[in-house]
Amino acid sequence: MPDSDRPAFAIRKTRTRFLGLTMDECIQAFFGGNALVAVLVLGLITVFLFREGSGFFKQNQSNIEVYRTAGLEYVDHLKRQEADHTALTRYLFDLRVRVFKHHTEVEGATLGEANQQLIAFDDYSYDFGDTVEPLREAVYDLSESVTATKTRMLVNEDRLVERQQLRDAGAVEAAEAVVIEEIDLVAARQPLLAFRPVYGQINGQFAASLLSVLAAEAPAMPTAELEARFTRFHELVEQYIDGFPTVEAALNTWDPNEPIPTWKSWTSFITGERWLTASFWQDWYGVLPLLTGSLMVSMVALIIAVPLGVGAAIYVNQLASVREQNIIKPCIEFISAIPSVVLGFFGIAVLGQAIRIISQWDWLSWVPGFPVVERLNALTAGVLLALIAVPTIFTLAEDALQNVPRAFKEASFALGATKLQTIIRIVIPAALSGIISAVLLGLGRVVGETMVVLLCAGNRIAIPDFTTGIAAFTQPVHTMTGIIAQEMGEVVQGGIHYRALFVVGIVLFFIALFINFMAQKIVQRYRISIG
Amino acid sequence: MSAHTLMEITPTTFAPPIADKPAQADSEVHQTLIDIANLDFFYGETKALHDISLKIPEKEVTAFIGPSGCGKSTLLRCLNRMNDLIDIARVDRGTIRIRDIDIYQPDVDVIELRKRVGMVFQKSNPFPKSIYENITYGLRLQGVSAKSRLDEVVERSLRGAALWDEVKDRLHESGLSLSGGQQQRLCIARAIAVEPEIILMDEPCSALDPIATARVEELIHELKSKYTIVIVTHNMQQAARCSDRTAFFYLGRLVEYADTQTIFMKPSDAQTEAYVSGRFG
Ligand SMILES: Nc1ncnc2c1ncn2[C@@H]1O[C@H](COP(=O)(O)OP(=O)(O)OP(=O)(O)O)[C@@H](O)[C@H]1O
Ligand SMILES: [Mg+2]
Repeated sequence: MPDSDRPAFAIRKTRTRFLGLTMDECIQAFFGGNALVAVLVLGLITVFLFREGSGFFKQNQSNIEVYRTAGLEYVDHLKRQEADHTALTRYLFDLRVRVFKHHTEVEGATLGEANQQLIAFDDYSYDFGDTVEPLREAVYDLSESVTATKTRMLVNEDRLVERQQLRDAGAVEAAEAVVIEEIDLVAARQPLLAFRPVYGQINGQFAASLLSVLAAEAPAMPTAELEARFTRFHELVEQYIDGFPTVEAALNTWDPNEPIPTWKSWTSFITGERWLTASFWQDWYGVLPLLTGSLMVSMVALIIAVPLGVGAAIYVNQLASVREQNIIKPCIEFISAIPSVVLGFFGIAVLGQAIRIISQWDWLSWVPGFPVVERLNALTAGVLLALIAVPTIFTLAEDALQNVPRAFKEASFALGATKLQTIIRIVIPAALSGIISAVLLGLGRVVGETMVVLLCAGNRIAIPDFTTGIAAFTQPVHTMTGIIAQEMGEVVQGGIHYRALFVVGIVLFFIALFINFMAQKIVQRYRISIG
Repeated sequence: MSAHTLMEITPTTFAPPIADKPAQADSEVHQTLIDIANLDFFYGETKALHDISLKIPEKEVTAFIGPSGCGKSTLLRCLNRMNDLIDIARVDRGTIRIRDIDIYQPDVDVIELRKRVGMVFQKSNPFPKSIYENITYGLRLQGVSAKSRLDEVVERSLRGAALWDEVKDRLHESGLSLSGGQQQRLCIARAIAVEPEIILMDEPCSALDPIATARVEELIHELKSKYTIVIVTHNMQQAARCSDRTAFFYLGRLVEYADTQTIFMKPSDAQTEAYVSGRFG
């Protein structure tokens, strides 16, 4: 081996090592580790969300099951009938207010005189109001009975859980000592079944007395417009009476033992129009009002933020002088540094009030929903959220415009295009997908924003009345993010309410995921098209 | 000093290129179309062009040559005022006249000027639109929207740029789907679609392979009968092959300007000779 005495070449040179790794490997491990942490955290969050939320549908099913077995479902048919009557009474009351106003404001009567003139009307409404009494009493009695049954069932459920926990802890004797009351559901439901024939009678009388009220001499209405409203009342009552047989049929076919299908617990969440918690009667976890609220608020925000953000981006990137750029850019970007709770304050103290005052200006009364009744509503929250979305949209859209190759613009100018033509025909189309993804990311920002909506959306958990058209946007709403922030602190861990909030969180998570995914897809396509 | 604006130019003074005058007579002396006189040009404080005077004849190919950074592109971009897009750029002294109109007068409509003076860039830059849309862009800017007219122009321009046969079946595919050489010819087609009088080309072949280069050179030769062409090139053979006159620049100055033959065969300046023979630059 003639080469053996040659010195080992640098390939074999020993390097400084740390934990058995070379410097390069250390640096690599450091960056790799950071990337891994990000992936892990995302994974953990997903797993956690699903673990906490997954029990909800099972619990919701048993929630609905109790609702049926205990007989609340049965009584709810009656309650609805009663509530409809109350609505009619309110209609009459509203009519009275109008008539009263007519007397005092148009005819110039004093309050006393006006009341005097309304005696016939009042008698009529009392008669109408009285018709519901027999039904009301029955509902009251039945409600007592079914809530009692429900309470006993819930206590039993709690005890079962307690026993299980004791058993798991090894305290077998203590577990056996937990008393589980036998509930005779058949007996408990006896009053409900016994009520069926009685209801037939009550209903018959109810309809008859309503008809006799209708047949009685109607109070005279001072104007044709009010007269028309009164006629409308007649129609409504007739429709109401027509619905009686349906209620009766529902009661007669009600079967407490009919099992609740699994999908019901899903649909009652996804399409449920009520989010009612900690109620004396029955809890409902329907996401629809929250989803609607979130969507409405985001819509308002986007409608405002897209033109503002994109417009500003186009101006700054294509038209502004360097000086203007240096002023406008930092200003817009600074908005995103304002803590959202401060924006929320601003929303309550300034914007909500301002919108209300502006909405009371006479010459603006043609705007749907004006004058606004509630200071805090979807519009207020949406306007503020727009402020939050503008910097995101602006910055990303500006980036997209910046990335349009200069060569495109030059080619356009060389063909005799004006600045505006170049912007509209070349720059914007070339940056369009970037702009769209900027808007989507802005939307993501808005959908996820919590503080502003919690403070400014008005927090009424109800689907706004869309029959009023876009005036619905001036009604208070509650949002998915808002409800989590508001209620998470006060729920029992592991309870159905707790889990329901987690499911709302999952819905949010997926919306955000979807928006981001779309944005990335669009950006990818844009990269390809620009080359 | 001309008080005309290009807007006011009537068809007779700014007549569309006449095709029936064949480029038979190379010896024939063409009329001066572009007249640059004592031009000084600055980028901010840096003087990029020093006292350039140059007359470019009509319907000939004029080549600008010279080492990198000597100001060829700058001068070329002065001819259609593309330098206006650079904030710090300014013409300090001197005039550029095209058909006796001083294009740096404030009352000149730059848009109109650029319609008359088309440009092809070093790096092909089709718009991210279809081939068809690329070519009709200039016409649409002028408000032309009749389909029959656009179709006709597309075919004529593509034939003019020797691209028609290659793309006639894919007019609605993206211009970016073409090869580099095809893209450059598309850009030439786009430039001639608006029927300019002058076409400026800034190193149009620098990114092309020899075959594509040969095609563009052939094209330049054909276009010469209808358009006045000014071309910047680093390729001596190219300048020799396709230009009628050649201007050699060095450090922002015009060193020599003469017939291409003269420049390449017996240049009067030592620097020119050194450069064209490849001894420096
Ligand atoms: N936008 C600009 N801003 C400032 N200086 C510039 C600008 N463009 C060109 N210059 C300067 O002007 C001088 C001439 O540049 P120009 O681009 O005209 O050279 P060129 O002859 O075309 O060179 P090349 O053959 O490399 O394209 C160079 O010194 C260059 O640095
Ligand atoms: Mg150049």
